[in-house]
Amino acid sequence: MPTPITMPKFGQMTEESTIVEWRKKEGDKVAKGDVLFTVETDKSVMDVEAFTEGILLKIVVPAGVAVPVQTVVGYIGQPGEPVPVTEVPKFGKPVPSVASTVSPPVVPTTARAVPQPAPVAAEVQPLQPVTVPHAPVAAPVFRISPRAEALARECAIDPTKITGTGPNGRILERDVRAYLDARGYHNLRITPAALELARKQKVDVLEVRGTGAGGRITVADIQRALAERPKPMSKMRQVIAQRLTQSFTTQPHFYVTVSVDMTELIAFREGLKAAGAPFTVTDFIAQAVVLTLQEFPVVNSSTDGKNVRWHSHVNLGIAVSVEGGLVVPVIHMAEELTFLDLCMRAKQLVEKARAGKLTPEEMSGGTFTITNMGMLNVESFHPIINTGEGAILAVASTLKQPAVRNDQIVIRSLMKMTLAADHRLIDGALAANFINAIKAKLEDIELWKRLTSW
Amino acid sequence: MLAKASPVYLSDLRPDFRPFEINCGTIPAYRYSGSLAKELEAGTITPSEAVALFEDMLIVRELEEMIVKLRSGGYEPLPGYDYRGPTHVSAGQEATAVGACSALSIRDNITSTHRGHGESLAKGTTAIRAMTLEQLKQRVPNCTATTREELVEAALEEHLYRTICELFGKEDGYCKGRGGSMHIADFTVGHLGANAIVGGGVPIATGAAMAIRYLRQDSVVCCFAGDGAFANGVVLESLNWACQAQFTNELAGEHKFGLPIIYLIVNNQYGMTHRTRNEVMGVDYLARRGAGFANNNMHAEVVNGMDVLAVRDAVRRAARLCREGAGPVLLDVHTYRYWGHSLSDPRIEYRTKEEEAAWKAVDPIETFKKQLLECGVLDRAGIEAIELRVRERNKRAALRAAAAADPDPKDVIKYMYTHTKCEVVPPEFRNPKLVGPPPVAKRTDGQITYRDAIREAIVEEMIRDARVILYGEDVAEYGGAFKLTKGLLEAFGRDRVFNTPISEACICGTAVGAAMKGLRPVVELMYMDFALMASDQIGNQAAKWHYMSGAQIEVPLVIRASVGAGKGYGGQHSQTLESIFCHIPGLYVVYPSTPYDAKGLMKAAIRDNNPVLYVESQALYGLKGFVPEGEYLVPLGVADVKREGKDLTFVAWGPAVHDCLKAAERLQSERGVSAEVIDIRCLVPLDVDTIVRSVQKTGRCIVASQAVHIGSYTAEIASTIQELAFDYLDAPVKRVGAKNGIAPQSHVLEAAFLPCVDDLLNAAYEIL
Repeated sequence: MPTPITMPKFGQMTEESTIVEWRKKEGDKVAKGDVLFTVETDKSVMDVEAFTEGILLKIVVPAGVAVPVQTVVGYIGQPGEPVPVTEVPKFGKPVPSVASTVSPPVVPTTARAVPQPAPVAAEVQPLQPVTVPHAPVAAPVFRISPRAEALARECAIDPTKITGTGPNGRILERDVRAYLDARGYHNLRITPAALELARKQKVDVLEVRGTGAGGRITVADIQRALAERPKPMSKMRQVIAQRLTQSFTTQPHFYVTVSVDMTELIAFREGLKAAGAPFTVTDFIAQAVVLTLQEFPVVNSSTDGKNVRWHSHVNLGIAVSVEGGLVVPVIHMAEELTFLDLCMRAKQLVEKARAGKLTPEEMSGGTFTITNMGMLNVESFHPIINTGEGAILAVASTLKQPAVRNDQIVIRSLMKMTLAADHRLIDGALAANFINAIKAKLEDIELWKRLTSW
Repeated sequence: MLAKASPVYLSDLRPDFRPFEINCGTIPAYRYSGSLAKELEAGTITPSEAVALFEDMLIVRELEEMIVKLRSGGYEPLPGYDYRGPTHVSAGQEATAVGACSALSIRDNITSTHRGHGESLAKGTTAIRAMTLEQLKQRVPNCTATTREELVEAALEEHLYRTICELFGKEDGYCKGRGGSMHIADFTVGHLGANAIVGGGVPIATGAAMAIRYLRQDSVVCCFAGDGAFANGVVLESLNWACQAQFTNELAGEHKFGLPIIYLIVNNQYGMTHRTRNEVMGVDYLARRGAGFANNNMHAEVVNGMDVLAVRDAVRRAARLCREGAGPVLLDVHTYRYWGHSLSDPRIEYRTKEEEAAWKAVDPIETFKKQLLECGVLDRAGIEAIELRVRERNKRAALRAAAAADPDPKDVIKYMYTHTKCEVVPPEFRNPKLVGPPPVAKRTDGQITYRDAIREAIVEEMIRDARVILYGEDVAEYGGAFKLTKGLLEAFGRDRVFNTPISEACICGTAVGAAMKGLRPVVELMYMDFALMASDQIGNQAAKWHYMSGAQIEVPLVIRASVGAGKGYGGQHSQTLESIFCHIPGLYVVYPSTPYDAKGLMKAAIRDNNPVLYVESQALYGLKGFVPEGEYLVPLGVADVKREGKDLTFVAWGPAVHDCLKAAERLQSERGVSAEVIDIRCLVPLDVDTIVRSVQKTGRCIVASQAVHIGSYTAEIASTIQELAFDYLDAPVKRVGAKNGIAPQSHVLEAAFLPCVDDLLNAAYEIL
């Protein structure tokens, strides 16, 4: 019996996933641990490995379609083994019809039970199509006859811009011809190769400006049009777009910025580093934030605008830039960790993030996020709160700057931190106190000596 | 050269109600009192003939035991061979099959049944034993032997090999693996086919006997059919058909000759499992059926089917009667089927072990073996040698068959149709003598009616080829219900034009048998609605035999069916049913709409070697049109563009073509729309190219016919268009037909029921 390959359930909340790419073809030999396919959930992209060896007998679910978790997506077995006939999985969830959501509750029109007259035989309508069956009434759709569509394809034009005069507004051949005349298609000059490419790539030549001799459209023009054509964002970018839009449009942001004198801390860290300790600047900031959040539990909470949810643990998110976007791995229960553990955990998560191997669990449940652009040479920036959290801390570059110490202008290493806070939860004074408490910790070398003395 | 006497017969029956009694006479039962000893003494059998009877029965039993063992996994030479297919074994009935076939000559014919291994094998073995050296060498061309004995042995083994190949579905089978056990046939020895429709072969046998009678051949047909079949309509119709007085009385002129056919009831006591006697029939002996069909009781006899000599004797006498023109003969041959209907039938639900034991006690092989020993024809060693020879021969044949090549899957529908037609008439059938002047259609401006055009085609073809005969209900003196065949009897005589009983199944079934024996019958169904009465004979027999026989036989026949729509004749006389027959592969279906096409298509249909359903419209019979005198053909499968246009294509056939032409005129004059009208003329084969080319040009298509919408062939055409010309369609393909209902009598309702010009215009407006 061939072994079925099922779509793994990556996290508690994952209900469906999409295979981005099959790495094996039907008929390929598969060893245990070989990557079978790549999956995109709404949170991540991951590789799925084979847990059995044999031949990939059949791919049931091709790349590009979303299927519920646990769906059989293929079979591994021995050559020639019969593969069970698998029902084509249902993609996506059923959408409730509009009618069912608006239908009013059935109210009996009469309170008394009135006996119904027995149906008379003559009134019984036979269950047969008496006339030509009607096509179901559907919402207005783009209608075009195959002949008209073939003509539009032949001419490499976009038929959706044509007004149809056929039944139900269907675009007919005559409509395409009228459109071509109206748009001066016949005066268009285009090289045969360009027309061929436009047909193949479905570029509307009426929208392309020719740069060849006498305004002739060339292959280069079509290629330019192709490059400009909108393409769908990656699933990751779509998730980023959706989440950040939600945050920025529902959570009223305000910002407070402080300048932290990092001179001593940097020197302290240099010493530790020379002694072989692994701490990064981010680790110090993370530790300072974890400590401060415990002093200001309101900042470590979230709201839906009506209720406040206080989080008993600090689940610290750290934004990590990755190829094509950014992810936020979360250090769960960070307050329970020693400084060293925190540092190690952060390092591990960042590495996993860069390798694309974070699990959905490792990317969810955050209560506060740090975003560090220190290595990118910015003086300060205004972050967007990670959706659902109460605030986010933006860390800018540490720069040598003139500073006043004991009424003397001296050169110090200053670092600006900006807190973006959800004003529904956090007011200005709280934000100021909170960020200054972090600042104070970062500038308190005695604290770090204590935390690193083991 | 015209004969003198007119074949027209005017009835002159007078009332005579004086009392009297009908004497049905008696029917002898078990009149054979001979034995092997007596026959040897009388010289009616030679020792070697007796040994052959014994061996042939053993051959049958060995093959059937092989089938039983194969199915149970116990046939030693082929362990684990996966035998697929039916297991309708006839063990116990060997004496009936072998006794009957031994009494026939190689020229004689048989038809058989789904339980026909015995008859198939016996017709072959008895024919081989009777072959000349030359015939034997032709039969086994690769055999290098020269003695008769060796050649017979080689031919017998080849016969078994080809039989088993057919059972195993191999390309070397008699029917190239297309027929199998239930449809096996070997036309080279006169085996016209086993038949898996109970009773289905009986009208075919009857038609074959008609052909033999017509061609004055010296042969007979032995029609094997079980007792269960003798309750079936088409079987009883066949008995009536065969006994028609017109074959033997003054209507037959100088050729008073009864049909040379023996209806041999293989009475094994059971239908599938039901008892015929005492349960589903009212007579004790089926031989009594003879009294219902002929004053001579069809020479009916009850025969001991467990005694090979008794069967041989009865069939010899019956064949002699048939050769003398005294047929048909009915033999009720009592035998017994040891196994159940098939191996899945354990038999215990409907008969006792004691009954089986009693019949096995008179086992045909054992009792004959005893006689051979008693008469000293064979000693024990001789018997055992034959038994071993049969077993070994079967084994060799089975091993070869199992290893033989399967048919090539790409040939799955090869042989569905033959591509031959009658281009040249064999000399003996050219220019037959007429008995009177043929009817001539009166032309005005070169025009004749659709009715006359069809008649003219038939007349021309009957003059061209003596094998063309015409029959149907009331086609003779009366000239058919619609006068289409008027004058043909007077021209061609009753030998070639005759009335039939009201037996549509037999009209079509006998045509199949007659076609198998070399005639080219044209038969008439008065109304197409009646084709359903003959649906088995059209759909299961005429359509299928070329394929099922592995292209051994062609079935050239034309079934004319007349559509009555528009006359207010109601639901059973108004149907346009050609779509049903298009769904049956193996048939050609044509429906002309003009006199010109009607003549040319009829001539092409008669000359084609496929069975053709030729549909006519009564509404068009009076339509006049230009028809050339003399020879021309309209090829089957070529559509005709009746009107050229560029905006819209009408595809139609039959009367709908004329509605389309009218609609096209109105579209032109009222809207300036130029419509093309394609008359497909043939539904099968369909001229797809002409349709697709037109739709590619116009982009719009309406397919119209008079058939009711549901399941109409218009849907097949519409589907083909969208498949082949999708990118050329500027609108959905529309269909116009009758309403999804039953043709009503009321004129008002029928007008609403049938499609009309307005329906076509409305369909056109919807897509323009």
